[in-house]
Amino acid sequence: MQDVTITINGDIVTGTIDERTLLLDFIRDVAGKTGTHNGCLEARCGCCSVEVEGDIVKSCNVLALQVAGRSVTTIEGLSKERLRPVEHVTSQSLAGMYAPLEAMGADVNDLHPVQVAFHQCHALQCGFCTPGMVMVMKNYLEENPEPTRDDVRTAIAGNLCRCTGYQHIVDAGMMAAETMRSQPDNSRPAPARPAHDH
Amino acid sequence: MRAFTYLTPSAPTEVVEMLDAHAPDARVIAGGQNLLLGMKDRSDSPAFLVSLGGVSELEGVRAADSGELVIGAATTYATLARMEFTGWHAEIASVCGNLADRPVRTMGTIGGAACAADPRYDIPALVTGVGASLEVLSAQGVRTIEPSDFFLEGGGTSLQPGDLLTAVRFPATEAFTTVVFEKFRQRVFDAALASTVLALRVGDGVIEDLRLTVGATTPRPTVCVTSTAGLIGQPVDAIEPVLVADAAAIEVLGPETSNDPPHLRYQRELIKSVTRRALIRATAIPRS
Ligand SMILES: Cc1cc2nc3c(=O)[nH]c(=O)nc-3n(C[C@H](O)[C@H](O)[C@H](O)COP(=O)(O)OP(=O)(O)OC[C@H]3O[C@@H](n4cnc5c(N)ncnc54)[C@H](O)[C@@H]3O)c2cc1C
Ligand code: FES
Ligand code: FES
Repeated sequence: MQDVTITINGDIVTGTIDERTLLLDFIRDVAGKTGTHNGCLEARCGCCSVEVEGDIVKSCNVLALQVAGRSVTTIEGLSKERLRPVEHVTSQSLAGMYAPLEAMGADVNDLHPVQVAFHQCHALQCGFCTPGMVMVMKNYLEENPEPTRDDVRTAIAGNLCRCTGYQHIVDAGMMAAETMRSQPDNSRPAPARPAHDH
Repeated sequence: MRAFTYLTPSAPTEVVEMLDAHAPDARVIAGGQNLLLGMKDRSDSPAFLVSLGGVSELEGVRAADSGELVIGAATTYATLARMEFTGWHAEIASVCGNLADRPVRTMGTIGGAACAADPRYDIPALVTGVGASLEVLSAQGVRTIEPSDFFLEGGGTSLQPGDLLTAVRFPATEAFTTVVFEKFRQRVFDAALASTVLALRVGDGVIEDLRLTVGATTPRPTVCVTSTAGLIGQPVDAIEPVLVADAAAIEVLGPETSNDPPHLRYQRELIKSVTRRALIRATAIPRS
């Protein structure tokens, strides 16, 4: 067992972990951030993608020890403002779940342009692949703000989606690229605000 | 995964000391993209992992006085893909930016790929194709190994426990006019089913050097000799891509027979088409 500290979305998280702990397990079990999904555990599906200091990795194929002392951004870090608790799923009607985000009381401005584009282009169905898709897309668009559709397809080559058939995901990538070009500031996660603001 | 102790040296000599102290149960972990997959399914179970994460000396690229391009073993694909190399060295960046997928390239290193020596990985083919040499540090000192001695005929490498690959030394830009890497894979992030490296030096329209190497279809990349015999000294126009590619397929996989199993016929066709593509792309440049 070993003490490891990793900064996750700006929060310093320390845990006493087994050396074998994957970054994915550290994020989900030690930090309690379950937005990062475990789809295959063998670096094939991309559901577990997160950023380590601006570089995208598959967190299921990295030991927590390999990133000890460094900063990680997960899907939750993209829209800090929206971290207010959402009502429990079972207490919401399906109509409520599928209603536009605005109707759920979410301010679209809180979302990262990639998240907005995924919502508007209907780029998810079950949503299991979405956290990884969004993280890889964001990371790629920050490097290449003017991609072609083919570029976007290649960028998400390591992310599998069993639902959408990818067309809408590529649409979302193109839409997000356009938004990020016109509002460069929006491409970064909103700065953390003190809790009493919410 | 079986339990292990994680060691974090900060210098290459320290890595070697740790490997020796815990031989043969210690293994280097560079990016871990290959090693961790094996550890998860327990086909690999080292008791000690020696991390290169904190050994900054093994990262980065420099030009040697000889003009060689020296790439530190722990330099990641992502770093190499972003480099703006001159001459044929640009093909190194291009290969590194067009394999695996974006997240794997962040962690995966050129040295890790060479040491893993999976025949379907691109680095063994590239290293063999351009005749890069591999610099290895051990308790006995530094030695430089040619690809034909590094990659074993039956697969794997000649590295011994306690050996650390420190750098891959690519020949100077002058060595070749052009280097072309072509591969076929099923999906973008799959490893190659067949790959070809063509390294060509042309002076005054005449071929001064030509190396054709086929990867992914044999346990180690095959340098084609008979299929390119007689081309040196000829004008570039003398290269017949279809004839050379057909001959290369025979040289790599043996002569065609009527009862070749389907996978062999498939490999044969793939070798022919990637080799043809490489030859056409490489010869188009000096011809025009
Ligand atoms: C989803 C996926 C897709 C992939 N697709 C491709 C592809 O299309 N093409 C391709 O070429 N590769 C592909 N790869 C493989 C990838 O290239 C290699 O896994 C990676 O480059 C290995 O580098 P690493 O630093 O992660 O090595 P590690 O996993 O850290 O190490 C690999 C082996 O080499 C040893 N080692 C590492 N560095 C040294 C050193 N300096 N000295 C001595 N021994 C050392 C380790 O002990 C281990 O045995 C893919 C991998 C994944 C997970
Ligand atoms: S869970 Fe990491 S790639 Fe599938
Ligand atoms: S939306 Fe279901 S896997 Fe992609």
